[in-house]
Amino acid sequence: MANSFTGAVAVVQFPGVNCEYETAAAARAVGVSAAIFRWNEDPAALDGCLGIVLPGGFSYQDRIRAGVVAAKDRVMDAVSALARAGTPVLGICNGAQVLVEAGLIPGIHWEKVDLALAPNVMADREGYYCNWIYLRREPTNCLWTKLYGDGEVVPVPVAHAEGRFTTEDAGVLEEMKRGGQVALRYCDASGAVVPSFPVNPNGSVENIAGVCNREGNVLALMPHPERAAWLRQVPEDLGDRWARRRRAAAGDQAALEGEGPGRRFFAALGGAKGGSR
Amino acid sequence: MGAPLTGVVAIRDLPDERIAETLARHGFNITTAEARRVAELLGRDPTVVELTIFNTMWSEHCSYKSSRRVLKEHLPVDAPNVVLGPGEDAGIVRFAPGGDGDWWCLVIGHESHNHPSQVLPVEGASTGIGGIVRDVYCMGADVVGVLDPLRFGDPSGPKGRQSIAIARGVVEGIAQYGNALGVPNLGGDVVFDRGYEDNCLVNVVAAGIVLESRIVRSRVPVEARREPYVMILIGKPTDDSGFGGAAFASEDLAGEEKANRGAVQVPDPFLKRVLAEATKKVMEAARARGVAIGFKDLGAGGIACATSEMAHAGGFGVKLDLDAVRKALGHFPPAVVSCSETQERYAMAVPREFAAEVLRIYNEDFELPRIYHGAGASVIGDITLEPYYSIETAGGLVCSAPVEVITTGIAYDRKGAPRRRRFEEPALDPRRSLRDDFLALLASPNVASKNHVFRRYDSEVQGRAVLRPGEADAAVIAPLPGRSVGLAFAVDGNPFYGLIDPYEGGALAVCESVRNVASVGAVPATITDCLNYGNPEVEEVFWEFTEGVRGIGDACRGIGHLSHEGAPLPIVSGNVSFYNQNEAGKPIPPSPVVCCAGIVEDYSRCRSIRFKDEGSALYLVGEILDELGGSEYYRAIYGALGANVPRSDFVRERGLVRAVIEMHRLGIVRACHDTGQGGLLTALAEMAIGGRGDGELGFTLDLDELAPLGLPPEKLLFSETGAFLVETAPGIEREMLALCARNRVKLWRLGEVRRASRLEVVSRGASLARWDLAELRGAYLDACRPIFGVENTGKGA
Repeated sequence: MANSFTGAVAVVQFPGVNCEYETAAAARAVGVSAAIFRWNEDPAALDGCLGIVLPGGFSYQDRIRAGVVAAKDRVMDAVSALARAGTPVLGICNGAQVLVEAGLIPGIHWEKVDLALAPNVMADREGYYCNWIYLRREPTNCLWTKLYGDGEVVPVPVAHAEGRFTTEDAGVLEEMKRGGQVALRYCDASGAVVPSFPVNPNGSVENIAGVCNREGNVLALMPHPERAAWLRQVPEDLGDRWARRRRAAAGDQAALEGEGPGRRFFAALGGAKGGSR
Repeated sequence: MGAPLTGVVAIRDLPDERIAETLARHGFNITTAEARRVAELLGRDPTVVELTIFNTMWSEHCSYKSSRRVLKEHLPVDAPNVVLGPGEDAGIVRFAPGGDGDWWCLVIGHESHNHPSQVLPVEGASTGIGGIVRDVYCMGADVVGVLDPLRFGDPSGPKGRQSIAIARGVVEGIAQYGNALGVPNLGGDVVFDRGYEDNCLVNVVAAGIVLESRIVRSRVPVEARREPYVMILIGKPTDDSGFGGAAFASEDLAGEEKANRGAVQVPDPFLKRVLAEATKKVMEAARARGVAIGFKDLGAGGIACATSEMAHAGGFGVKLDLDAVRKALGHFPPAVVSCSETQERYAMAVPREFAAEVLRIYNEDFELPRIYHGAGASVIGDITLEPYYSIETAGGLVCSAPVEVITTGIAYDRKGAPRRRRFEEPALDPRRSLRDDFLALLASPNVASKNHVFRRYDSEVQGRAVLRPGEADAAVIAPLPGRSVGLAFAVDGNPFYGLIDPYEGGALAVCESVRNVASVGAVPATITDCLNYGNPEVEEVFWEFTEGVRGIGDACRGIGHLSHEGAPLPIVSGNVSFYNQNEAGKPIPPSPVVCCAGIVEDYSRCRSIRFKDEGSALYLVGEILDELGGSEYYRAIYGALGANVPRSDFVRERGLVRAVIEMHRLGIVRACHDTGQGGLLTALAEMAIGGRGDGELGFTLDLDELAPLGLPPEKLLFSETGAFLVETAPGIEREMLALCARNRVKLWRLGEVRRASRLEVVSRGASLARWDLAELRGAYLDACRPIFGVENTGKGA
């Protein structure tokens, strides 16, 4: 009864994740097929998949540290091998924590943990935070952001308590920047990278919101693009062009079922080469 | 029935004092008379397990022994859209066609978790969410949202520190559970008052969706007549947590907070989430094989209550083997295993033939025993045709009686007597500064922004959000991908109205929640209620309760069902919580809390409360009367309660909500907000500030427009008569007048939304007061920050 994911997006369901369905739906919205991969199914089923998404949630109850138990799961051996061979891998929120704990991000030294996603701590706020923020697409060869323009501002929601990218090794940060691995930064509606809350929602170093590997096929992203994949999801009170578009679509359900700001993360898979090994 | 009974407790031949001693020794709350009644029902002395079962089943929490007659007399529970009214774990109404004659249904439950949250705020509130979502899951539904009406002590009162600690803990508990489970928070409300300092209120609502054909009932299905069925217990290993929890919820807290900590359950959203996923697969497998099942969550009274109620509802019996129950490490006596309220458990009745597949899905596919120590699914007994309930252990029978004896109810005829209190209106002081008073009012914790709470909750998960908590009077989700139907939710209940008039406290809670749902264009579909009061044995408290219920019932019939002419707005779920009082026995303010769920034809017309466009017209729909009794203005500015509580007028209310819903259908609403707590001026300020706190449009209110109402400025600005503010495109006044005339409601054109970022009140050509939006924002957004922890909102994302 093993599923096959050939040509499809596999959304990995670790016990305790809770965003697998809307993540699969966001992938389907760009015309690719997507299915849920339960963590203990045979990892061989992932061979030939179009891409892998590790969705948000609380895998293994965030025991020890967010993402660390899932990072040791059997399926992650397969994810690591496929990622190394070029399969697109996106970790969203808890999925980003898993990718960092598995050493796939930043991946400068493959499978070595060089980064951390630490508890949100800022001068005037700490702890869990759920709200819409803005992302700025940085110059990078990241596959997942290739459909956004350099410097483009993208509103999406964050919802996490541990999303502060940090590293003990300043060299790692420098190398990430040199290698074009800082794919996304938190910014304001005009694109300015302001280091304080609420523009930076968690205290992340240099406002980093998403980090890819040097090859660009693996992205660890704290915000949730699947919650911004339809226009109707955008709050009409936001202060940017997406919100203006949202307000202009009031009363037009068909328009609201159209593209939202986060959809192009998934649309990037449309042109991606899947299943290279 | 061959095995001997063990653990028999002598009752029948003992005098009352000795019975009382025995009951106290076992920690039972039932009275000696009730214990005698148990023995009489059984026709012999009961076992410890049996007494434990009755102790739980006959608690106020489970039996509704004081409230049931009042509820039956006053509350309408049926309407054409109702699939399932009160009685099972949650109520169900239809909301959209589901194809092939099937219907999409809304499943909704409403509970309280007050006493545990006062003792252990984080765990208590968390368990509250855990319990109510289980009630919705067990009907076969996907849970799509939770709401949490909260009442805490005054943060600046003598017990302010404790009140703040409880408030923070409760919010943390709700956040921990809901966020990890992956269920979005759809709002709630928070009221602070000294009356709650010894007894906070944590009410919880959960909503789910399910196709009508896939509803699972909490009973052994009739198919068990034709083939053998077994009872499966699923979830967390049974331990002694929450032992006596229902009984605990039914007594007052005075001085016993610490001793009762064992009665607070330990919740686990992680396990709940995995159980939900696995259960979905079990339901799919059952449908694929055409197998009928019964499913019920374990709540109060644990295994014994859930399994006996499932058997009773289906007309069957159960023979349980207590030794087959998965237990946590430690030795637990049979009464504990039978009745503890260990969280995250369900009971399922399935054909014996199908049991292996059910166990495989839970234990192997989803590896429950591996991912959570001791968890899993096990067969714990057989369904029997004879309606007899027995629990066996290796040591003998610990419970043995006809099912209908076990589930026998109990009822009391309580008496009520009106509370005689005089209420007076404060004398208004003309020297006061409107400018300063309004800033103080906006900064009152009961009025100020609750964004500090909302940002702790995940309101985005599942991706269905259309309007989030704080953005509008009701939260709206689009539950069915690609379809235009929306669901709207709001909770309300102003305790200060009830202090003056407990009938209005109930009636206005319904009116306000209906208004909030209509404010986004939704047609109210159902009401749920949670009735929080003091000790029902006190006649004045019972009177308050009866009046509140009467008010709710009258409002539901008086406003009626807008989609089904002649039918009432049905109440499909609810809960009663008594014994909410302080250490001296003083009851909390009468606190009926109501949730209204509404259906939106087309969610694309739902708008936030924030002013949208310069040059828009702003209207007041409805009227303003001299109704400041219980108002936030009197309380915050004059330190007075007042007397002239808003009077419910169901005909006016019905006209108002019809008119506003019609405006939404016509697509002419740019923003809409009801004038509730804090009155007209507060509502205006909230529309200018916006839910996210970054509005930039202003307004000048000329009170001369409202001169025909004949009220002084303070009363026009701060009366809490229910009405609506509606922003529309300019130039449609004639249509608005015609629409309001049709619905027999008044309409006042107040003026134009302006670019200037300030709010001003003028009268007879003179400015009474003026505020920059920045200072309003400061007062409104910052006031609750010190209560819920450090946070800096305002400008920005």
